[in-house]
Amino acid sequence: MTEHISLPVQASQTGAARLKMRHAAERRFRIYGLAAVLFGLGCIATLFITIVSGGYSTFTQTVMNIELDLDRELIDPKNISETDFRKIVRTSIYELFPEVSGRRDKRKLANIVSPGAEYQLRDHVIANPDLIGTIITLQVPMSDDIDQLSKGVIRADLDESERRVSDLEITWFNALREQGRVETVFNTTFFSAGDSRDPELAGILGAALGSFYTLLVTLLLSFPIGVASAIYLEEFAPKNRFTQIIEININNLAAVPSIVFGLLGLAVFLNFFGLPRSAPLVGGMVLALMTLPTIIIAGRAALKSVPPSIRQAAIGLGASPMQTLMHHTLPLAMPGMLTGTIIGMAQALGETAPLLMIGMVAFIVDIPASVMDPATVMPVQIYLWSDSPERAFVERTSGAILVLLAFLITMNALAVVLRKKFEQKW
Amino acid sequence: MMTSQNTEPQAKTHPASVSVAEPTNKFVSKNVTVHYGEKQALVDINLDVPEKQVTALIGPSGCGKSTYLRCLNRMNDIIDSCVVGGEILLDGVNINDPKIDAVQLRAQVGMVFQKPNPFPKSIYDNVSYGPKIHGTVADNRGLDEVVESSLRRASLWEEVKDRLHEPGTGLSGGQQQRLCIARAIAVEPQVILMDEPCSALDPIATAKIEELINELMQNYTIVIVTHSMQQAARVSQRTAFFHLGKVVEIGDTEQIFTNPKDERTQGYITGRFG
Repeated sequence: MTEHISLPVQASQTGAARLKMRHAAERRFRIYGLAAVLFGLGCIATLFITIVSGGYSTFTQTVMNIELDLDRELIDPKNISETDFRKIVRTSIYELFPEVSGRRDKRKLANIVSPGAEYQLRDHVIANPDLIGTIITLQVPMSDDIDQLSKGVIRADLDESERRVSDLEITWFNALREQGRVETVFNTTFFSAGDSRDPELAGILGAALGSFYTLLVTLLLSFPIGVASAIYLEEFAPKNRFTQIIEININNLAAVPSIVFGLLGLAVFLNFFGLPRSAPLVGGMVLALMTLPTIIIAGRAALKSVPPSIRQAAIGLGASPMQTLMHHTLPLAMPGMLTGTIIGMAQALGETAPLLMIGMVAFIVDIPASVMDPATVMPVQIYLWSDSPERAFVERTSGAILVLLAFLITMNALAVVLRKKFEQKW
Repeated sequence: MMTSQNTEPQAKTHPASVSVAEPTNKFVSKNVTVHYGEKQALVDINLDVPEKQVTALIGPSGCGKSTYLRCLNRMNDIIDSCVVGGEILLDGVNINDPKIDAVQLRAQVGMVFQKPNPFPKSIYDNVSYGPKIHGTVADNRGLDEVVESSLRRASLWEEVKDRLHEPGTGLSGGQQQRLCIARAIAVEPQVILMDEPCSALDPIATAKIEELINELMQNYTIVIVTHSMQQAARVSQRTAFFHLGKVVEIGDTEQIFTNPKDERTQGYITGRFG
């Protein structure tokens, strides 16, 4: 702060003292504000650092290269899917460690690669049937525990009783690494698969598409209805007791706990109309109910903030109420309406409770292809994973949160772009 | 209550005056009342507006002059609590008749507001908006012509011809007000209502607007509400003095300012109240 130079005309001693106090108060106020902002930034930074440091390892996966003998005797080219691919994978692993004997140890050894390996092999052979009879090298994911060991989450220096990976498995893993079979690659599965019981096979795509379909339905329902309601209430409805009651109720609805909307959805959409359970269509309808008050309130505020002089100018020129609205009021209010819509959609994106009621909290492996397919959404997926005991689901939880945040940031960026576009036009 | 029928219009020494032969009355008001809810804002207004002249409405704040002005193009319709009674005849047709389309009426009776209120669009779009919505021009060339002639008549053309596609809100206050006038006359109205058009402007911009009013008077009937007595004296041929929702006195501007019949008028124009 700069020193204040007293003006030549000094009012009085008390005046000078008061002036000093006023400056001190201003300084204090500024410091409080700055402190609040810094605290907020600190919290956000902590949040991001925690999530990113816990979640970035999701985007890599430990894989191993393994030679697989596609013996003609084991595979019937006419009926490939009947083949026992598990046996082929296991045989190859056992060949790497011929010294391992005993049922228990052998099973343990077989489990260092993911159970997904056999399906990967099957798909590969079905896609390339001419490979039958040759020996191929395939990159298959290792199991979640080995993956965590490789990433250092499961620490080898702990006592064997305190970790999920036995000394034997560590020996095998180290041997494989020395042979140059182990690699860390980008985890495409995480972005291309649905949920799975095995962390290394679980992906976010199912939940992300579920969220996308749900939000699409929410947007398609709540935006037109919300904007139309806001316009009617603000521009056309007479101001009487009836509209007042409607207004109060809309404000109250904005404060209703979201799970209540879920109950409503269960009672009306599922039980009365008989719509399918767990479908993004119903989820979107429920979230639309929840989002509507936000959009209506924001829309009305945006319409109110359009200066009345613009309306008067248009009406004075002989524009009809509809023309005034379409040509002047609505375009000017649109940025504010879009902001409200995005806030509502962001809320809907993060909502879990109402979806609980309509069966979207479910273990769904298939990736939804339409709004009628059973699906779950990202926050629900995060919740499900956070509840899973496997160590590898911990990082996947953080990874999914990162994807959710990316989703949110994309939506907000889109909103900013749209808003800028509307503002430039005007 | 004074009405204008018995005062003989004549050529005056007034600077703004033009010799008009026996003007017909554009507007005839019969016992116009306005209520805002419980409150009565206008009491039995009987006031006539002669064609192609400037009629000034003066009076202290809250006397109802703006309310009356807004009755002339039914702008009061958009205020929910406002109820208008009595008859206002525009060329003999009662505009308060519910069968009259207010939208059409406002195309005949344009309005310029107290604060310049151009649309947040380009100058061109501001002026062309009226003709567009009323469909009075056939094509883009016609529109260009209307925009140019309107801006010329509002003496703004020379100042903005090179930046027609820049936003109207970027002009100075006086230019914005002239833009609003251009926008109003682009619709080809018969009457222009002006609600204190200069109250937000500096003296130079005010002088330009007043000059413009003098020119527009040849083609349009103008009703202007003003707080400035000098302005009323400068631009108008007829003046009506409003007080507490009533017309106290109406007459030729010269007579009102030099020889008012009512002592309230006398008091107001000499600055004793208001």
